[in-house]
Amino acid sequence: MSSKTSSLIHITLFVFLFTILNAQNFYSGTVVDENSSPIIGAAIFIKNSAVGTQTDFNGEFILEANIDDVVVMTYIGFEDKEFKLNVKKDLGKIVLIEKIDFLDEVVVVGYGNQMKEILTSSVSSVSGEDLTIEPIINANQALQGKAAGVQIIASDAPGSSSQVIIRGLGTIQGGREPLYVVDGVLTNNINNINTSDIETISILKDAASLAIYGNRGANGVVIVTTKRGQEGKFSFNINSSLGFRNISKKTPMADASSFVTFSNEAIYWNLNSDSNPYNDNSLSYFFPTNQLYNTNWLEEVSQLGLITNYNISASGGQSDIKSFTSFSLNKEEGILIGNSFERATFRNNINFKVSNKIDYSHNISVQLANSTPKSYGVFTSAYKQSPIVPVRDKNGRYGSSIAFNNVANPVAQLNLQNEKQRYLKLQGSFKLDYKIIKSLVMTSRFSIETNYNRFYNFENRLAKYLSLEPGNTINNFQPTDPDAPEIPETVLNVSHNNDYRWFLDNYLNYNKNFNEKHNIDATIGIVAEANKYESLFGSRTNVPEESNLNFNLDLGSNNDGTEESGGGFSEERKLYSYISRLNYAYLNKYMLNASYRRDSANFFNKKFRHGNFFALSAGWFISEEYFMENSPFDKLKFRISYGELGNSQIPSLNVVRFNQGFPYPFGSNQDIQQGGTITATIQEDLTWETTSEYNFGIEFALLNSKLNGEIDLYKKINENAILPMELPDTFGFDPFLSHVGEISNVGAELSINWTDNFTDNLTYSIESNLAYNQNELSKVTNQFFANQIGGSINNGQYTKKVSLGQPLGSFFLYDVAGIDDKGQFVYKDVNNDGEVNEDDRRFFGSFIPSITAASNIKVEFKRFDFNLNIYGSFDNKVYNGKKAQRFGNENMEKYVFNNRWTTERPSSSTPRASNSIPLSSNYFLESGDFFRINNITLGYTFNSSNSKIFKKIRAYATAKNSLILKRFSGYTPELPGNPLGLAGVELDAYPTLSSYFLGVNLSF
Amino acid sequence: MNRIDKNLNKYVCCLLISLYAIHFSCSDKFLETNANEITIDAISAEQAVELVNSTYNILLSWQVSSFSWNAISSIASDDADKGSDPGDTGADKHLFDILAHDATSISIAEVWEGHYNGIQRANQAINRIKLFDDLDLELRHRLIGEAKFLRALFYFRLVQTYGGVPIITETPDVNSPIETLLRRASKNEVFEFIENDLIESINVLPEKSTYADNQLGRATIGAAKTLLAKVSLYQNKWETVLELTNDVIKSGEYNLTPNYEDIWKEVGENNEESIFEIQAKGELPSVGVDQYSLTQGARGVGGWGWGFNVPSENLLNSYDPNDLRRDATIIFRGETLYDGRFVPETVVNPMYNQKAYSSAFTDYQQTGKNIRILRYAEVLLMNAEAASQLGGDVAGPLNQVRNRAGLESVNNPSQIDVWNERRWELAFEHDRYFDLVRQGRAATVLQSLGIPFKVGKHELFPIPQVQINLSDGILKQNPGWE
Repeated sequence: MSSKTSSLIHITLFVFLFTILNAQNFYSGTVVDENSSPIIGAAIFIKNSAVGTQTDFNGEFILEANIDDVVVMTYIGFEDKEFKLNVKKDLGKIVLIEKIDFLDEVVVVGYGNQMKEILTSSVSSVSGEDLTIEPIINANQALQGKAAGVQIIASDAPGSSSQVIIRGLGTIQGGREPLYVVDGVLTNNINNINTSDIETISILKDAASLAIYGNRGANGVVIVTTKRGQEGKFSFNINSSLGFRNISKKTPMADASSFVTFSNEAIYWNLNSDSNPYNDNSLSYFFPTNQLYNTNWLEEVSQLGLITNYNISASGGQSDIKSFTSFSLNKEEGILIGNSFERATFRNNINFKVSNKIDYSHNISVQLANSTPKSYGVFTSAYKQSPIVPVRDKNGRYGSSIAFNNVANPVAQLNLQNEKQRYLKLQGSFKLDYKIIKSLVMTSRFSIETNYNRFYNFENRLAKYLSLEPGNTINNFQPTDPDAPEIPETVLNVSHNNDYRWFLDNYLNYNKNFNEKHNIDATIGIVAEANKYESLFGSRTNVPEESNLNFNLDLGSNNDGTEESGGGFSEERKLYSYISRLNYAYLNKYMLNASYRRDSANFFNKKFRHGNFFALSAGWFISEEYFMENSPFDKLKFRISYGELGNSQIPSLNVVRFNQGFPYPFGSNQDIQQGGTITATIQEDLTWETTSEYNFGIEFALLNSKLNGEIDLYKKINENAILPMELPDTFGFDPFLSHVGEISNVGAELSINWTDNFTDNLTYSIESNLAYNQNELSKVTNQFFANQIGGSINNGQYTKKVSLGQPLGSFFLYDVAGIDDKGQFVYKDVNNDGEVNEDDRRFFGSFIPSITAASNIKVEFKRFDFNLNIYGSFDNKVYNGKKAQRFGNENMEKYVFNNRWTTERPSSSTPRASNSIPLSSNYFLESGDFFRINNITLGYTFNSSNSKIFKKIRAYATAKNSLILKRFSGYTPELPGNPLGLAGVELDAYPTLSSYFLGVNLSF
Repeated sequence: MNRIDKNLNKYVCCLLISLYAIHFSCSDKFLETNANEITIDAISAEQAVELVNSTYNILLSWQVSSFSWNAISSIASDDADKGSDPGDTGADKHLFDILAHDATSISIAEVWEGHYNGIQRANQAINRIKLFDDLDLELRHRLIGEAKFLRALFYFRLVQTYGGVPIITETPDVNSPIETLLRRASKNEVFEFIENDLIESINVLPEKSTYADNQLGRATIGAAKTLLAKVSLYQNKWETVLELTNDVIKSGEYNLTPNYEDIWKEVGENNEESIFEIQAKGELPSVGVDQYSLTQGARGVGGWGWGFNVPSENLLNSYDPNDLRRDATIIFRGETLYDGRFVPETVVNPMYNQKAYSSAFTDYQQTGKNIRILRYAEVLLMNAEAASQLGGDVAGPLNQVRNRAGLESVNNPSQIDVWNERRWELAFEHDRYFDLVRQGRAATVLQSLGIPFKVGKHELFPIPQVQINLSDGILKQNPGWE
């Protein structure tokens, strides 16, 4: 007889005797978890006695006890609860709190799960719960500040996703975004995922965890696991919120009279400049001082943004079939008038236990989105357009500045843009698990993802022409030259882009513990995927403009002067891979892990198709050693890893093509014969970039696990980075791309969490993280490497350069020494050759911050919950592109006006009024440091114990970006994009917004 | 229930195992996709002809045959002036006119770039076609011969222009040391390389008459021999010149066009006199020499082009008044052309190059103008020049050329007679500057016209500065241009 059964018998006997001997009182209640789901089989007994019972299927219990008895409730995985009984017999709902125990924590990794305890790799996890505390449309934005080493450059534009950089930028020509895996589907983004559907997000950061994703692992992997149905009665959750948004910080601009003063000074200086004998007459026109209008263009194009979110989900089931279903609707009216985005999502996740050996599950999601885009160039136009131009003149026509500058009327620009984008995305994965024996499971999963995107753009060229200049009329729209081709009045462009991909994953998992000492967890499998992309586009001219046009290419006929044209494109990519992983743990104290993937891809030249990726890692749970018994550490673990990863998102021209564009006419009839050759803008051996990564980590817990944290140190090297080469013309080839560089990222990550409670009513936690990353183009292996310039601000000036020994995204500018006695910039002669020219540019640092820090504070006091998230990024530079682009007779910032150099008031830092294009210099470069309160949420959970319908009612208020401390004078220091393009350069950028939300969470 | 379970388990198990087996077995096949286009892996014998055609295509480029090449081969000489409006420099053409160009002049860089691009295409063709074992042997040899002929032509022009240049024969391995990649070969090494290519071409190329009509324009044995004769002429290898030109004359493949002017008309394309010419098609879709006719067309009201590379006074005055070639070479302001076009007095320059005039497609970007590279008259003149050096029949071949131009025979032609005949016969055919240098009288002739030709410098054009920079200084500048 086991001890358990014997004690049970004892208890029963005891209770029975007790009942007879004493007239007892019956206490009753229901034990539930934090989600108000009943806990079945929780043990309830009187302290220091053998009297007790268990909860039934509904979590209910009846216990005979006396007043002042201390009752103890326990259940595996939950914190024990003790309280003294009083006269009240109905104990109502008693909530047990789930135990946060690192020993039991399971982490989602590639093609499986692993116990956090024996994990030897660096993986950050974010729970779905943390994402639903506040309203978030785009899941990757919510990751900002949640995980160390995961940098999110946020964008507040409607429907846009933020840029995610994991452990530094490791490539310049290749794709920079991490791989996303949603329930097994490998995909490019998670824009389509309803945040409320997310159970967990795992971010794989080091080679040990990433190698199993082979040639797509180098930028990191974000694994999203969606919620599954829970056994029990169906429960419903409703989350809904309403929010308002506006621009966090506006840059004060000069008013009409300042504009006139400044511009007239500029014209005066221009006319008196000795160095400019050919003055442009159009700039020689002085502005009268009495202006009729004083337009604030930013006010004219922007509005208060509005967001509404609705989400409903249902979860429940029986032991062999469980389902989770959700539906959500998000709608945003942007701060730019007319700019909007709306999204609807649907999800259905099913688990079905077919037999004792077979489990079936599927996840299906559908996303529909409509977007009305507006050019963010309007923000630049609004910055540059003169305040003396009216939105509309007295005749009702758009105000025009064509007489003195080339800036569009921002309001006309907005109104004349007629564009729609529609997206449909389907994602589904169907999985079958077959338990061959208890410890060996065979898994087959088939997944699909399809995107069907349609873009429409209606150009009303006549209306645009009329808006340009007051003198433009419909009569002078067509060119006067009778031979010149007729200009179409309207053009309708339509394009359809389809993307269809499928995945077949077959793998075996063996997990067994021998003698309670040796734990083996092995996975081996084959995965294949195919991706077909198709694009079709067409256009038609002179289609009638009608409100019910509905973007129909069929309107108008060829007889009335309409012209059609069309085109298309298709591409097919396939990948076939073997995957394997072996974990071995001895006494859960010493861990070894090896993983390997072989990828074969059709999109590289045959000889360079196959790639092998692997990782090795080891861990030591030193706190489990006997000599650590008296140490202050509740947990202390070391882990170390090395591995090689790939980035296959290399430029699209990755196959050297036989270029057939070189014909020659032979014969007396001069028949054109096709000619072809290899012009090779890339090298034949172009294949994935290979990254090797070392990682050393420490995990610890102290003070009864109230304090726990992780430290990671890593060195990540892209050993064969693709860079451009400029070959001598003697070789007869165009400049091309080749594996000739090495990009290194070296960094450290620290995360520290503190969880405690002051009293039963007041619990709190502080989770903080800090990351440092040093990025550099550390080696160039070819003599023909071309220092690539970038960051052009479209006025002939560039701002960035890729160069050996510098971080990627480094600014390369003239260095301003001061202002001369004529009020003009003086630049430093950096190379001391007596003249200032291109050779005097120097590096000023990168747009990529090397330090990011965040802190997340949660406080629960009685029924109140409070959440505060702060985030900052430091040590980077941003370029004020719109300010640097300012040209003749365009508006200027108030600061520039007030502080300009004049003969009466010479300035040593701000130049005189000028109408010429400034050289790109550090005058326009500013610190990108910022620190802000990302989110403050205050929630209140109503007492629903008396409600028959609701299990939980919570209302909350959230403020996002309510406070931002930044040094940058522009709209936003967060400027995502291409490192050689406008990343870190503020030009046509969407401003950072402050948002205020009210919301409710209901459960029933 | 248990039984159903068991069967189900069995079926699913079988299904999964077979799925795994299928999955495992078809990996290679799976990766094969129908390519949208030919990738480097798929180039086969089927592309052999295209590889060679693309090498001919280089002859149509701006850099190799048009504006930039005219600067060096024509405007720099005493035959031509820059032309056009005084204010329109054509980027650097005004500098070539007075030999004030330098290593940074754009034409210098473009001619280098264009010819090496052609060499690269020829190398691709030669090295790939060599490996196409399944290609008909005769065709394989012919195609390689054509590519080598073109490669020789490109190197010949480079050695004429720049002197010794790097010899590139393979796709360069960008990882090998720059010294081996970009070393300048000596002038003799380059000539030797050209001769080898041409000898190999001569061994495999057919006669012009054996080509099918729709293949006209491809390199022939006659073209290869003529080019080799010309290459030998530039090295004073007189025996070889004489031998090869005699061969071409005796081949019976070629003859003089009765009317000199007809050579540059549409009717004269690929005629009996033509040995090698660049093929061009003006009808849409046009495939012609990039803006060759346009840049040289009459400029101004009533004109049709940019007006560059115009005949000089000196050339005009050098002609015998009875020489039919004068009016066939020069378009005069106020003249009515052979096709009835009137050139009004409103055009900017008094004279234009008639050999670049396209009657049917006058102002097209790409006209139907075939550029004559090698023709029978030059064979006769080279024959005469060699004979005058070696003591043979000079008057015979020379007078054939003279008589066709409406001039009387000369009895004992001197060397200067042969040289002058060459000038009149081949004006604007891209030889004059190199001829003067070859004949050793460039300084005398040009200086007498006030053109500052500097001995020891202007015999060669400078190596483009941008190439010297990219070579880390391995490429050394020509003397006098440092």
